[in-house]
Amino acid sequence: MKKTTEITFKLNGEIRNITVNNNDILLDVLRDKLGIKSPKCGCERGDCGACTILIDNKSVRSCLILAVEVDGHEITTVEGLSNQDITILQKNFVEMNSFQCGFCAPGVIISTHELLMNNPHPSKEEIKEALAGNLCRCTGYTPIIDAVIETSKKGGNKNE
Amino acid sequence: MNNLKYVGKPVTRIDGLEKITGAAIYTDDIEFGPNLLYAEIVESTHAHAIIKKIDTSEAEKIPGVVKIFTGKDFPFKFGLYMKDRYIFAQDKVRFIGEQIAAVIARDPKTALKAAKLVKVEYEPLPEVFNQIDALNNDSVIIHPDLGSYEHVPWFFPKAGTNIAHWRKIRKGNIDQGFAEAYFILEDTYKVPRYAHCAIETHVAIAKYDLSGRLTVWASSQSPFTQRHLFAEALSSLGIQHKDVRVIAPHVGGGFGGKAGVTMEILSAALATKLKGYTVKIRWNRAQEFYNTYQRLGVVAKIKMGVKKDGTITAMQHQLYWDAGAYVEYGANVVNAAGLSAIGPYKIPNIYIDSICIYTNMPPTGAYRGFGYSEFLFGLESHINRIATALKIDPVQFRKLNAIKEGDSLAYGAEMNPNGLLEAISKVEKEIEWGKKEVSDNPKKAIGKGFALFWKAPAMPPNASSSAFLKFNEDGSINILASAMDIGQGFLTVMAQIASEILSVPVSKIRVENPDTDRNPYEWQTVASHITWSTGNAVKQAALDAKEQIFNIVSKTLHLPKDMLYLEDEAVKCYTKKNFKLPLKDFVINGIQSEDGTYKGGPIIGKGVFMPEFSSTNSDPETSQGGHPNVHYTVGAAAVKIEIDKDTGKIKVLKAVEAVDAGKAINPDLVKGQITGGLLQGLATVLYEDIRFDEKGRMLNPNFTDYKIPTSMDIPDEIVPIIIEVAQPDGPFGARGMGEHTMLPAAPMIANAIEDALGIRLKSMPLTAEKIALEYIKTKHK
Amino acid sequence: MPITHEFEYYKPDNWKEVTALLEKYKGKAKILAGGTDLLLKIKDDIETPEAIIDIKNIPNIDKIQLENNKLFIGAGVTFSQLINSEIIKSELYLLWEAAKTVASVGTRNRATIVGNICSAVPSLDSGPALLIYEAIINVISANGQRQIPISEWFVAPKKTNIKNNEAVVSIEINKPTKPNGTCYVKLGRYSGEDLAQAGIGIMISDNYSYKIALCALAPTPKRAHKIEYILNGNQLSENLINQAKQIISTEISPITDIRASKEYRLHMASVMLERGLNIALKRYNGEKIEPFNYLGG
Repeated sequence: MKKTTEITFKLNGEIRNITVNNNDILLDVLRDKLGIKSPKCGCERGDCGACTILIDNKSVRSCLILAVEVDGHEITTVEGLSNQDITILQKNFVEMNSFQCGFCAPGVIISTHELLMNNPHPSKEEIKEALAGNLCRCTGYTPIIDAVIETSKKGGNKNE
Repeated sequence: MNNLKYVGKPVTRIDGLEKITGAAIYTDDIEFGPNLLYAEIVESTHAHAIIKKIDTSEAEKIPGVVKIFTGKDFPFKFGLYMKDRYIFAQDKVRFIGEQIAAVIARDPKTALKAAKLVKVEYEPLPEVFNQIDALNNDSVIIHPDLGSYEHVPWFFPKAGTNIAHWRKIRKGNIDQGFAEAYFILEDTYKVPRYAHCAIETHVAIAKYDLSGRLTVWASSQSPFTQRHLFAEALSSLGIQHKDVRVIAPHVGGGFGGKAGVTMEILSAALATKLKGYTVKIRWNRAQEFYNTYQRLGVVAKIKMGVKKDGTITAMQHQLYWDAGAYVEYGANVVNAAGLSAIGPYKIPNIYIDSICIYTNMPPTGAYRGFGYSEFLFGLESHINRIATALKIDPVQFRKLNAIKEGDSLAYGAEMNPNGLLEAISKVEKEIEWGKKEVSDNPKKAIGKGFALFWKAPAMPPNASSSAFLKFNEDGSINILASAMDIGQGFLTVMAQIASEILSVPVSKIRVENPDTDRNPYEWQTVASHITWSTGNAVKQAALDAKEQIFNIVSKTLHLPKDMLYLEDEAVKCYTKKNFKLPLKDFVINGIQSEDGTYKGGPIIGKGVFMPEFSSTNSDPETSQGGHPNVHYTVGAAAVKIEIDKDTGKIKVLKAVEAVDAGKAINPDLVKGQITGGLLQGLATVLYEDIRFDEKGRMLNPNFTDYKIPTSMDIPDEIVPIIIEVAQPDGPFGARGMGEHTMLPAAPMIANAIEDALGIRLKSMPLTAEKIALEYIKTKHK
Repeated sequence: MPITHEFEYYKPDNWKEVTALLEKYKGKAKILAGGTDLLLKIKDDIETPEAIIDIKNIPNIDKIQLENNKLFIGAGVTFSQLINSEIIKSELYLLWEAAKTVASVGTRNRATIVGNICSAVPSLDSGPALLIYEAIINVISANGQRQIPISEWFVAPKKTNIKNNEAVVSIEINKPTKPNGTCYVKLGRYSGEDLAQAGIGIMISDNYSYKIALCALAPTPKRAHKIEYILNGNQLSENLINQAKQIISTEISPITDIRASKEYRLHMASVMLERGLNIALKRYNGEKIEPFNYLGG
């Protein structure tokens, strides 16, 4: 049985080429093989959103994706958003004390980043819906939503 | 308290940037290199059984398996307040999920694969799953050796029974109290177990190096307590405390679940048998649900007597706690609740029994609120019903009976300064209490509910905090303390305290995460006592540094010490207008005197805080005497809801909560606790619903079926109100409030439901289904 | 947790290769599209395939097309695509509304409607809409293509009429006549994402002809023909709705599980039917009503 596959993909702007086991989960490969620690494992079932990343600019739950599936695609994680200058959205998250323990933050940042890419001036309802798959146990969500509203007021989310 | 520059301001969190750039390191993010081994735990599938045989032969054949361990490799007990727990099950298992064996392998997949092949043979024993049954004379006894267990002196186990601890409060004359009552109401309220659901699960990684030094990295609220428990449990290996190091990186949520010791001891113990290696255990979400602490379940029987004008004359409060198979931590919840089960009220005649009962259910321990959410549900519901029966406004009733500074507590000590009446008034005004609102949709009913809350830190009388504060060459500061920022903002608040005293801006202060080698002692980050306790330690460390600064400046530069002050990171002098010596000029290098020699050296402050007025000395039969609780934090809350009469679904239109923080060192962070805590509390009453089957197996150990709030579930409006009646012994008057914010949620919803629909529900959770079906029943009557 | 089970992985770019692989593996191969269902099953050892056939590379598999009054939804079309599609919103509003209730954005960006019907769980949200639209499932195998009407698709909980050497290529729906008014009412435990504890889909069209379908109230999603019979041809009135509510217990067989009790599901079915009918009627009469929490909360 051929248990491994070679894959080529773009990770935060850089082309990568690795061999993975067919049964490797994308989240595990990102964290354990590629040094990408921002997506977290919270539930292994796609319920909590802590593992959320962008594939071809769409948010997905990396704990329910096989690494082999990303061959030929583009992955963006918070490391990719932060490695030059942080985005306005990230800056507002800091200034408005939006996060507490911070564990849900990478997933939330990816989901809200996607929202603002597609909809620069979302309503509060639209923000809530975009966040509905990211569980946060600490904040009660309000300070996160407020930061997104603040970002959209200032003309959307771009790198600083 | 005027002119504070940093304290009392909504300063930006100092760990914010780390967390939103993805730089923050949590325990599972740390890399350990090729010598990292993975452990998968084999768990019991029976709730109560003798282990007859563990067959590891098939598992051992899997390539990549290094070793398999079982209970016989670790015949050690451990426990925080009572030593009733084992690292691995010995002869018996006592709950489904209890750890029986560990498979160690070179990669996680192999460990998981091999663990599935370990075969265990059990001889089932009779099981008991609820606390009332466990009290029956014919119930199976879960800990037959209870009488020989070590425990703290203020616990009272009953050997030969399933009662692990019994806290009794007897004050005044209960019979007389009821005889004086005009009206008496007696009823029972039920609260099930709940799960913390921090988004990060427990992770612990341990290394026992070739020289016999044990290092543990853990997602933890309690690095020092964990170090102590590891050292105690493993003492037969000759391990001294100094050779055990616990490092606690950022924590992805705790809520009490990462306090004490649960699975962390597995990594620590296994490492000692794998010298030279590092071994990692990361709990999956299901294990996080059934094999870490759960919040205790309780059956509460309340009997309360009042005069015609509403004054409470007597209260009898029986709390029967389902504490699970091991209660080394859960028993203190029972204790804490027992001491405070009168609620924030002045009651002359009190009879409380708070009983900690073993069952074959998962172990229980600290959960935000520590028993107070559990008993306040019944108490605040009961109070409302009495008020309503007497046709007294429920808020008026509460004002009448509210406990005041100096009033006697359940155990005889005096109540501390508090803003309870102010909290009640402000909440009453904000929710427009008394104004009945009607929905223009005939299918909906609007109701309002009110509740008071209080809590004291539940901790040993000698729990302490300490801190080091050191300056750097550029005048920036590192503070080392071992409390944990579990999200509440502890790091930032400590920086603000130091800033205020030393005039160094918060942006120039770094507060480190705990490392028991480097940071000084902290008991645990629990009990909402860190702002008060560690805050005092940090304040003292800053004052100590300031004292050293003034000493060296006054001595070397011949200035009057009492005329010196700090401003803008420099030493200045009231009597010498132009004098300004920047801190960075001497905090490492000292000050040069006239003869060219240097005086001083690195400025390093030290602070220690341990309350010296707390004691657990009291009569075991009455709990009178002693001063077990350092102080209470109080508050009031109200909610306005809209219920769909057909479906039972509740929309929270407005939630108002006032909490007396003494001094809100960072108002933003206090508001953050209110918003987050309220939602967590509302979830327990509205839709979090733990289920077990008849054999003790948890049916919903996942987020698909144990529902925690999403962004779609937030109340339409939350109004946080900060009350500030200073805590005399708190830093700048502060006292803790982190747990408190979820306490009033359940009873105020129950009260609002009664206001809206006229039905009283006494068993949590109050789901849409329960409301709808109960409402149909009452409509038909 | 990691997947311990090992398998081969294929990524064909045409259906011929897919069917050849299905033949080769004789039922031991699984099709992978979104993976949000399959990966969970593999993690839990419920599925142990020898091979996984990833169909995402097949051209046009993620297309939604309108051709000759027929709508084609490819096997790779995700719930997000359905929600963002102008055609789906304007022509198949019931399906659009149901798609919006499924999970959350990150899951919808991967989960496919075809994957949803292949899982055939009793609670699947796309069930009622597809039953009402009388969808046809196009499947392919080494033996050729065939069509399975949706009314024959669901056999038992988690079991469909597809053979283990067949794969779904697309779902095809005849464009419904207008005007029509629809409503999908879903019962969850709170406002956050949840699996349906009960789901009722309704379409009113063509001079008061009613189509009603349910999910999570029987072993499979199904049409409520008895209720349709009582309502058909009649304008809605309180009396008529009550008559329909009275026979609802003959259409459904709700169970008690950890999500809801039989009593509540039975009670709610009746509430949901009434509210769904009222909203569908308003939309049939041209009122623009955005989906909201029809059941409160």
